[in-house]
Amino acid sequence: MEKGLFGFIWKYSARQQIFILMVTVLTYPVVYFLLELPKLIVNDAVQGDNFPRNVFGFDFDQIPYLVLLCFTFLGLVVVSNGLKFYLNIYKGRLGERMLRRLRFELFQRVLRFRLPHFRKVSSGEIIPMITSEVEDVGGYIGEAFALPAYQGGMLIVQLGFIFMQDPLLGLAAVSSYPIQGYVIPMLQKKVILLSRKRVKNVRVIADKVGESITGVAEIHANDAAAWHSADISDRLYENFKIRYEIFNRKFLIKFLNNFMNQLTPFFFYLIGGYLVIQGNLSIGALLAVIAAYKDLAGPWKLLLSFYQMTADVSVKYQTVVENFDPPDIYDTERLTADGEVKLDGDVKFDRVSFSGGAAGQEVMDISLTVPAGSSSAIVGPDGSGRSEVLQLAAGLVSASSGKVLIGDHDLDKLTDSTLGREIAYVGGAVHVWTGTIRDNLYYGLRHRPLVPPERSAEENKKYKRRVNEANQTRNPVYDLAAEWNDFAAAGVNNDAELDEKALELLETVRLDNDIYRLGLQSRFDPSMNDAFAEKILNVRKSLAGRIANEPKLSGLVELWNRDSFNASASLAENLFFAVPSDPEITMDQVPDLKEVKTFLSETGFDQKLQQIGLKIAETMLELFANVSGDSGLLGAYSFINQDELPEFERIVRIAKSGQQRPGLTDADRSRLTGLAFKLVPARHRLGVMTDDLRDEVIEARKRFLESVVKRGDSFVAFDPDVYLPPLTIEDNLLFGRARVDRRDARRRIDNVIRTIVEETGLRHPIIYAGFGYHVGVSGSRLSAGQRRRIALVRGLLKNAKITILDDIATGLTEDDKTLRSALRQVLSEKTFLYGTSNAEIAAEFDQRFVLDQGRITDKG
Amino acid sequence: MTLETEVEALRKVPLFHGIDETKLRLLAFISERTEYTTGERLCSQGEEGDCAFIILAGSADVLVDTPEGEKKVAQVAENSIVGEIAILCDVPRTATLVAANDMDVLTVSKDDFLKLLKEFPDISLEVMRTLALRLERTTRDLADARRGASGA
Repeated sequence: MEKGLFGFIWKYSARQQIFILMVTVLTYPVVYFLLELPKLIVNDAVQGDNFPRNVFGFDFDQIPYLVLLCFTFLGLVVVSNGLKFYLNIYKGRLGERMLRRLRFELFQRVLRFRLPHFRKVSSGEIIPMITSEVEDVGGYIGEAFALPAYQGGMLIVQLGFIFMQDPLLGLAAVSSYPIQGYVIPMLQKKVILLSRKRVKNVRVIADKVGESITGVAEIHANDAAAWHSADISDRLYENFKIRYEIFNRKFLIKFLNNFMNQLTPFFFYLIGGYLVIQGNLSIGALLAVIAAYKDLAGPWKLLLSFYQMTADVSVKYQTVVENFDPPDIYDTERLTADGEVKLDGDVKFDRVSFSGGAAGQEVMDISLTVPAGSSSAIVGPDGSGRSEVLQLAAGLVSASSGKVLIGDHDLDKLTDSTLGREIAYVGGAVHVWTGTIRDNLYYGLRHRPLVPPERSAEENKKYKRRVNEANQTRNPVYDLAAEWNDFAAAGVNNDAELDEKALELLETVRLDNDIYRLGLQSRFDPSMNDAFAEKILNVRKSLAGRIANEPKLSGLVELWNRDSFNASASLAENLFFAVPSDPEITMDQVPDLKEVKTFLSETGFDQKLQQIGLKIAETMLELFANVSGDSGLLGAYSFINQDELPEFERIVRIAKSGQQRPGLTDADRSRLTGLAFKLVPARHRLGVMTDDLRDEVIEARKRFLESVVKRGDSFVAFDPDVYLPPLTIEDNLLFGRARVDRRDARRRIDNVIRTIVEETGLRHPIIYAGFGYHVGVSGSRLSAGQRRRIALVRGLLKNAKITILDDIATGLTEDDKTLRSALRQVLSEKTFLYGTSNAEIAAEFDQRFVLDQGRITDKG
Repeated sequence: MTLETEVEALRKVPLFHGIDETKLRLLAFISERTEYTTGERLCSQGEEGDCAFIILAGSADVLVDTPEGEKKVAQVAENSIVGEIAILCDVPRTATLVAANDMDVLTVSKDDFLKLLKEFPDISLEVMRTLALRLERTTRDLADARRGASGA
């Protein structure tokens, strides 16, 4: 990678830079005429005589001449600004493209780092380098050549003018330049060093903040917040000190500059004045020189600030790039090559040594052969070199001496396109990607875009532009919208079969029940799969039938019924008999929806709900007034939490006093309404739901249906014959509420649902719906065990010739034992390497290699 | 039924005799109101007890396991609290409760009841007094029984 900024700029944008320079030069005469014309207009057209004037062979009288000049002026204004506009856009675009190229190059280099290199660098440091630190480079690139050329040209022209008037004055004008040219870079050098220091310090801060976030549980568990605070605070102080130093020097440079610039006129007045008095110089010439000198100040200042910016940006560039050039970086080829070599044959270690850079991460002179199609255990405690041997076999790390071969192929000479497809590796520390379960399961099949998507002409145009931009910036042109799943590799033909295969493997690792539960809790879009929605509705019907027929069940649920009040559901659900189409809308936001507001005021429910809300608030205040906030009673039972208490106290006080002013604000009213909406009469027996009110609520439903639900798409009505997308699959199955006033109603009804689901064969579709479950940031919404199993299925789904598992299912429980034998079953035709620290488990395998301190101590 | 009626019922429970109304309302509010139909089990002997039952309406049979099967030893009726031992000390349920007719019950969970005791020491005092009285009576009964046994 280019070590210096200018090398990088010139290599990738020389043509564009020359073009910018040429257009800039083109603007030069335009600007010159633009400055000359006003003088001509005043001196020649307005004050001149001896008309007409001859312009390009035409004669002009005074007025037409004035008009001609003025319109020429206008034309030049348009041309000069147009050129400037064009140039700015062009520079901006060039800068953005170069920035994109640089950032991508940096990211690709991160992917090319060898694994052991990541022991030395942290994401907290790398991220700001790729994102914020190079940001300034983009803005600079467009100016890199044009600005010094243009402003330098201006400076030389102006200087030439002064020298032509009087060489002595010319010398006076440039007298300060040598001093400035010497002193300023010297000071700037110090600033550069400081900026480097600052950049590195900020990186450390970013890294420490990142680490604190990852380890936040540790911080609390060890009461180490003070230590971390002190640490960060110290770093911030360091940052302040550096920054302060930089300011001091930067402004010193500015001060010197300004001083020097204003010192020069001092010489003009002294020397020029002397010359004029002596009669060696005309007063007009002196004034012209002083005016020209004033024009000098502009370009000179710009050049200096450009110089400072260059220094700053170069430092940033170097400070970033030097981190991305480790000597042992992989070739780009390793990532981008498409060739795939078939890895048939035995896995062979030929006198392999490896050192991970720390004790317990070494492998010393190991030779072993795992016959193709057999299952072998690599046994050894942590630190015995077991994990390293397995990583070597997966081609993830390279041997420092010796060779790892599969068949005749040296793994070190192969690219990711072979290693990542022919070998499946699941290590002890798995990573689950932020996304859905499906994304994670099929992750191992997404090597390259396979089937391009169909695009309309319009989309195609957009796509072409994207590809063109990618080509211009040497970014990859892989199409994200294409079909990436490699069905053939998994041994299936289409999405549906792939899902089936994944489910089969999930059953093998016994994750199917977990995903079934996630599926019940997930939402799905019925337009994607009519048949599934239809089946759910059938289950809903048969469930309703069973509930009606079995008195034991009917006491457990209250189904949605348009003509009766559901005491186990909230007042809002009862009133609307519908749910917001957007499941993200919370109960607190509902009162503020426009259509809800209109509906409430039209039906007069706004007043009633506010009264109910007020009553609830009063009761809550009364009940919880003497309860301390940390007892936990308030949060668990009250509608109001500790923080909101004072707010509601105020609202109740105002409402009680009956004063018109200040009165309740709209927001207050919404809060009261929101409170009323959350009331579940059977749970919160506050006595606010009278029979009359129930009837009114049921009556109002119809109106809501007519005036809101049918007219817009913001609400979906409860309808026994319709699938409701905003509700979870489970709620759609039940279509009612488990009664809150019956013990264990929820659990008992869940069991009934489960049996019916099993009977009707809906379990698999629900599991497929569970594939769409979002696993949270890095799988944080899954348990550690679930994450490991998902990674395991991901590895198995690749159907690779060699499967390597390290520290997976290494328990002595029956569960793990069955899982291991199921794994051997699934991988029976393949080469299977299994890492464990337990000799007893290893005995289950065809072959064993026992490792101790990096050496093989036993084979069997 | 509303909180008010529940408070009325609670007031009749001896354990809550001296406790002022707002606190009873709070107790009622944080309890769960559940219905049981005849023959339904409230709890089973030997399982872990995580709540106490305050009977608002109806009555329940108290059964204990014997070698011959479950045997009814007592009946608890309206306005009594049962299962409170389980929420004060961690012992398994000492008997089974089966609804003798349709019941209306307030269920107080162990955690909430303990929080309430912590929050309002006067309730603790009242609970202590009632339990002490009960203990005193039990002791006297025991002494009487022993005297009766030795006299016979």
